[in-house]
Amino acid sequence: MRRIFTGILTFSMLLTGCVNNSVGTQSRLEVIKKRGSLICGVSGKIPGFSFLKSNGTYQGLDVDICKAFAAAFLGSSQKVQFRPLTAPERFTAIRTGEIDLLSRNTTFNLSRDSSKGNGLIFAPVIFHDGQGLMVRKSLKINNLEGLAQKSICVGSGTTTEQNINDAFESKSLPYTPIKYQDLNQVVAGYLQGRCAAMTSDRSQLAAAKSGFKNPKAHIILDDVLSKEPLAPASAGGDQLLSDAMRWVIFALFTAEEKGITQSNINQKLEIAKSNPQMKPLRRFLGIEGDLGEKLGLPNDFVVKVITSTGNYGEIYNRHLGPNSKVPIPRGLNKIYTEGGLHFAPPFN
Amino acid sequence: MGNSYNYIKYIKRVAFSNALDSIISLTILSFGISALVNLFKWLVFSANWSVVSLNLPLYLFGSFPGDQLWRPGLWISLFAIFSFITLWGPRWSWLRKSLPFLWVSYAPLGIFLLAGGFGLSAVESQNWGGLTLTILLTSCSAIVSLPLGIALALGRQSTLPVIKNLSSIYIDTMRSLPLIAVLFFGQLLIPLFLPVGLEINRVSRAIIAFTLFVSAYIAEDVRGGLQSMPKTQKEAGEVLGLHPFQITYLIILPQALRIALPSLTNQAVGLLQNTSLMAILGLVELLGVGRSILANPEFIGRYIEVYIWLAAIYWIVCTVMALIARHLEQQMTLDKKDF
Repeated sequence: MRRIFTGILTFSMLLTGCVNNSVGTQSRLEVIKKRGSLICGVSGKIPGFSFLKSNGTYQGLDVDICKAFAAAFLGSSQKVQFRPLTAPERFTAIRTGEIDLLSRNTTFNLSRDSSKGNGLIFAPVIFHDGQGLMVRKSLKINNLEGLAQKSICVGSGTTTEQNINDAFESKSLPYTPIKYQDLNQVVAGYLQGRCAAMTSDRSQLAAAKSGFKNPKAHIILDDVLSKEPLAPASAGGDQLLSDAMRWVIFALFTAEEKGITQSNINQKLEIAKSNPQMKPLRRFLGIEGDLGEKLGLPNDFVVKVITSTGNYGEIYNRHLGPNSKVPIPRGLNKIYTEGGLHFAPPFN
Repeated sequence: MGNSYNYIKYIKRVAFSNALDSIISLTILSFGISALVNLFKWLVFSANWSVVSLNLPLYLFGSFPGDQLWRPGLWISLFAIFSFITLWGPRWSWLRKSLPFLWVSYAPLGIFLLAGGFGLSAVESQNWGGLTLTILLTSCSAIVSLPLGIALALGRQSTLPVIKNLSSIYIDTMRSLPLIAVLFFGQLLIPLFLPVGLEINRVSRAIIAFTLFVSAYIAEDVRGGLQSMPKTQKEAGEVLGLHPFQITYLIILPQALRIALPSLTNQAVGLLQNTSLMAILGLVELLGVGRSILANPEFIGRYIEVYIWLAAIYWIVCTVMALIARHLEQQMTLDKKDF
C-alpha cells in the first residue's frame, strides 16, 4: 500500500514539475501566437451577442469582438475557435487556461476584478447594459411612477429582483412583484397578462421582445435600474495580453470616432500615406511610429481589425442596430462625442 | 364480423353501462378529440418548422466543419445500420457472432471518426455537437462503466476486506451524490486539480463524470443478479475443479448479467437522457444545440417546435435502444430453452 502511495506521489510531483518548467512565465499572447489560433469563451445562447447560425458558425457582438482580437493578434479574423461556456464555468475556464479570453456578457465589478476575488483583468466595457422595464404600449405608461400599484413580473432570487425592489422603495412607490424561476417563465407570465410590466436586463428585454408576435405593441421604458457594464476579460497578472486586448477595443472606438469604416479603410490608408503631416492618423494606422510593437502586436493591427470587423458602431449596428433582428437603442453605447460612454484614450 | 360485434359489446359494457358512465365517457372523449384536433392543427398549420428544417445539420452534427461532415454522418448511419441488422437483419451465424464486436467497437470508432488522426484531419472537441455528441457521450460512458460496474459488483462480493470495503464505500458515496453534482465536479473541479498546462477536454471530462456515476449504479444492478445466484452454482463449479476465476467468468457472471439485463437497459436509457444535463454545463449536445439555435434572432420564440423535435429524436433513439435490449433478452431466454 505504502509503495503505491509513494508511487502516486512521485508521479504527481513529476507531472507538476515538468509542466511548471514548460509553461514558465510566458504571456498568454505568446501562447496564442505560437498556437496560431485564439480560443475565445462565449455564451452561445444570447440573441444578438452570441448564437449559432444555421451554417454552424457563431455570430453576434461578443463573437465579433473575439474576431477583432484574432485579427489583431494573428492577422486574420478566421483564426479563432469558440468555446460555448455557461455562467458558472466561465471563470474556471479562464483560470485553468482552457480558454485564452472571455467575451461572454460578463459584468465588470469589483469582486471579479480584484486579485482576492476572481482575479480577472477586464478590457474596456463593450456594452453598457442595465436593468429595464417593458410594458404594453396600450397601457400608456412611460416611466417608473406610472407603474405604481401595478404588478411586475420578475425572476426570483436574482439581483434583478433586488434592484426592482430598491428602485420602487427609494421612490416609496407600492407595487406587486410576481416572481418566476427563470426568464422564459417571466416572459410567458408577462404575455399571459399576469402583470403590467416585466423586468430584466435591457438587452434581454429587447431579445425577448423581438420574439413576440407583435413586437411593436411593447415598449422598453427609458428608466435604467442598474449598471451592468459588460466587458471581455482575461486572466490576471498577464499585462501583455490584457494591454493588447484593451487597445484593440480602444481601436474599435477610435475608428468610429474618426469615421474610419470597413469600406473606407483603404481610402483612409492611402490618404494617410500620401499626407505626411497627418501625424495622428498615421500613428493610428501604423504607418509611422511603433505603437503596435509596444503592445507586442504588428504596427498595422488597427488596419487588420477594421478591415475584418469594421469599427465599433458597425459591429453594433450589424447585430443590435435598428435594422437587426434584436434592435436595442444605442443609448449609453454611443461614442462619447455623440453623448455615449465609449471613450478611448489617445493613441500616442 | 363477430369480432367487431364483440368490441362494440365490450365498449358498451365498460363505458356506457349507465347514464353517469355515458356522460363521463362522452366528456373524456370530447376532450380527447378536441385536444387531438388542436394538436394536429397546430402541428400542421400554426407551427413554423423552418427552425428545424433549416438547422438540420446542426441538430445532427453540431458545428462540425462542413467538408468533414461525412465523418459524424457515417458514424450516425452506422448506429442505424447496426441497429437494423441486430433487430431485423439476416440470421447468418458469422454476422450474428460478429455483432457484439461491432457494437463494442462502435464507441472507439466514434472517437476516431470525430477526433481524427491516422490520416483524418484533427477536429477539436468544441466542434462536436448535436445528436453525434449525445450518442458519443452515451456510448463511451456505457462502454467504460459496464466493465467498471461489474468489477465493483464483484469487488463488493469479495472476501478480501480491503477490496470489499473500498468497493462498498465507492458505490455508496456515488449513489448518495446527485448526478448534477458529479457533473459539476467533472467540469469545474477536475481542471483545477490538474497541473497547469495539462488539459483534458470537456467531452472527456463529461465522459469521466458519467462513468464514475453510472458504474456505481451498474454495480448495484449486477450485484442484484449475483445475489440471485444460488450457492449451489458456485459449489458445482468447485466440484468440477474450476478455478474461482473460471467459476465467476464461466458460470456466475453470464447468468447474473442475464438477470440484470432489464435494469442495465434502464441505466442505458437513463444515461442517454441524462446526457442532456450537459447542456447546462456548456456542451452543445442535442439539447444544448437546440438552446443555441433558439438564441438565433431569426428563430426567437420558437421554443415549442424545437422542444417537440428534440423530444421526437430522444424518443426514437431510446426506443431503438429498448428494442435492441428486448431482442437481447429474447435471445438469451432462447438459449435457456436449449437445455
